[in-house]
Amino acid sequence: MSIIKVKNLTKTYHDTEVPVHAVNGVNLEFKKGEFSAIVGPSGSGKTTLLNMIGGLEHPSSGMVEVNGTDMFELSSSALIEFRLMNIGFVFQAYNLIPVLTAKENVEFIMQLQNKDKKQMNERTISLLESVGLGDRLNSRPNQLSGGQQQRVAVARALASKPMFVLADEPTANLDSKATMQLLEIMEVLNREENITFIFATHDQRVVDKAHRVITIDDGKIISDESVSK
Amino acid sequence: MMLLKIAWRNIWRSKLRSSVVLLAIASGMVGGLFSSAWMNGMANQRVRNDFDIETAHIQFHNPQFADNFDVRKTISNTDSKLRELKNIEGVEYVTSRIKSQAMAATANKNSGVTIVGVNPKTEKEVFKLYTKINEGDGDFFETKKRNSIVISKALAKDLKVKLKSKIILTFQDYNGEITGAAFKVIGIFKTQNSQWDKTTVFVKDADLRKVLDLPTDLSHEIDIVITDFNIAGETSKILQDKFPDILSEDWTEIKPYLSFISEYMDIMMGVFMLIILLALGFGIVNTMLMVILERTRELGMLMAIGMSKSRIFKMIMLETVLLSLLGAIIGEIISMLLINYYGSVGINIASMSEGLESVGYAATSYPALEFYKYIEITGLVLITGVLASIYPSFKALQLNPVEAIRTI
Ligand SMILES: Nc1ncnc2c1ncn2[C@@H]1O[C@H](COP(=O)(O)OP(=O)(O)O)[C@@H](O)[C@H]1O
Ligand SMILES: [Mg+2]
Repeated sequence: MSIIKVKNLTKTYHDTEVPVHAVNGVNLEFKKGEFSAIVGPSGSGKTTLLNMIGGLEHPSSGMVEVNGTDMFELSSSALIEFRLMNIGFVFQAYNLIPVLTAKENVEFIMQLQNKDKKQMNERTISLLESVGLGDRLNSRPNQLSGGQQQRVAVARALASKPMFVLADEPTANLDSKATMQLLEIMEVLNREENITFIFATHDQRVVDKAHRVITIDDGKIISDESVSK
Repeated sequence: MMLLKIAWRNIWRSKLRSSVVLLAIASGMVGGLFSSAWMNGMANQRVRNDFDIETAHIQFHNPQFADNFDVRKTISNTDSKLRELKNIEGVEYVTSRIKSQAMAATANKNSGVTIVGVNPKTEKEVFKLYTKINEGDGDFFETKKRNSIVISKALAKDLKVKLKSKIILTFQDYNGEITGAAFKVIGIFKTQNSQWDKTTVFVKDADLRKVLDLPTDLSHEIDIVITDFNIAGETSKILQDKFPDILSEDWTEIKPYLSFISEYMDIMMGVFMLIILLALGFGIVNTMLMVILERTRELGMLMAIGMSKSRIFKMIMLETVLLSLLGAIIGEIISMLLINYYGSVGINIASMSEGLESVGYAATSYPALEFYKYIEITGLVLITGVLASIYPSFKALQLNPVEAIRTI
């Protein structure tokens, strides 16, 4: 059962002199529990593709269906609500609200979902423990290292119980040690809790961990391989 | 609740900028409130001074007396009226007066004056002129001596008289004949209104009655002090119905400009505060636009992860309103302290005092502001904050999350 269906997706930017076909006729499907990486050189269209899968950017043509819902048929406020309930995001940077502590950042998304307070508290703590930050609950982002911040972002992305998590270059600002730590945590979450992750990356260490590697160049898929681990 | 927390903490992200904004709001408040309190204090004093010295709260006259101060247009049955008035709920003090226009003359000068014939005992309950006589300047009819007169410092100077000097008063008596008598100065007062001072002199009712040949129980004026001067208008109407043969007027009718002063001060204060709030409003809009520009990425991230537009709007609005409100409260506390301090020690503007006194204002004024004004201002600042937040919040909504995030 595919949870994401991408059909004939294109995105053309016209704001330059020559139109840029950032994503050019992409067809893809993702299943529950996949741990995939979209790989390609800089400018190949990874971010654009991931943003459209996440409902952040409208395609020029084609469609993205998440669990049977054509996202771009939704009104803009319904789309925001849809993202909130169904998709977890981890960005390269600026993931967290700087004035909130790690715990509050994770709780925040559940508050947006109007979750029950007590349940929220327990879930937040267990999530932060699972990303190895059980002792940093009350630290603000600027008191955490880059790697720790990204782990809070992962916990935050999971807090809303999304169908899948999109991570655009999550390791770009991290050193080797922090990168490995983050990847291991996500791997464990994938293995033990069947969380679906889709990365956009040009980081070989991420690619090495992925179970499925989708290579993109010039907005086109040039290979899509499953790697048995 | 979380939004409130974020909004509050966001204020303190840029401490310098927020402090500058807070300082601006607070000083605007202090400027506005303090000067309003000052004006208000001057106006209050002016009004109260007129109650105490000139008008009381309500006056009775013969309906035709006011036209030309005709000695024959009297109030009859004065004593029974006074007695009846005293029994009316809300009436505190009453006194009666007789009045006449006269020429006051000394060996070298003369001057037109209004003579007021008073009953010292009740007069002192209603009017506080006796407090305007300084140590060494005599007193307000403490003596039993006949034909004594109390005049002002200004008139004494004009007529070149001192305590114990004689003044000849000439006027028309009750029968229309020109008559006169010599009076001895026993007290010299000075009020804030030097114009009034120069034209008003006081003698005892009994002395004046005799030279005027005015029958007992007739008087020209009954002055009434009630418990709450704010309801003088209503009370006056009630009294008018009770005593149809006289004309009852409250202080706003006797001196229309007095109530005008109060209203005028209110309007002035309103306009003044409006200008201050407008300036603050624009300052706040500007600051918040800067804030949003700085937080573009953060706001983009929030929209991306699923924060609804209405919540984003609310968050920015809360921050703006909290900032404005905090500034207002700081400003109000400072204002309150300043106003209370100067309200008790007074502000003396000696250099301007001469000009002010000639039109009836005291040189030393006591700033005062009623508490509800502070509440009112807080409400206005709140409204300003909400209005000022609309445009920046709206701007925040127009951000495109993708563009906001992409700029890395
Ligand atoms: N908002 C935009 N306007 C115009 N061109 C864009 C915009 N965003 C991306 N592009 C172009 O689209 C192409 C794909 O960009 P992107 O998806 O960011 O690639 P990647 O993430 O693989 O580096 C690039 O050529 C980029 O310059
Ligand atoms: Mg990219």
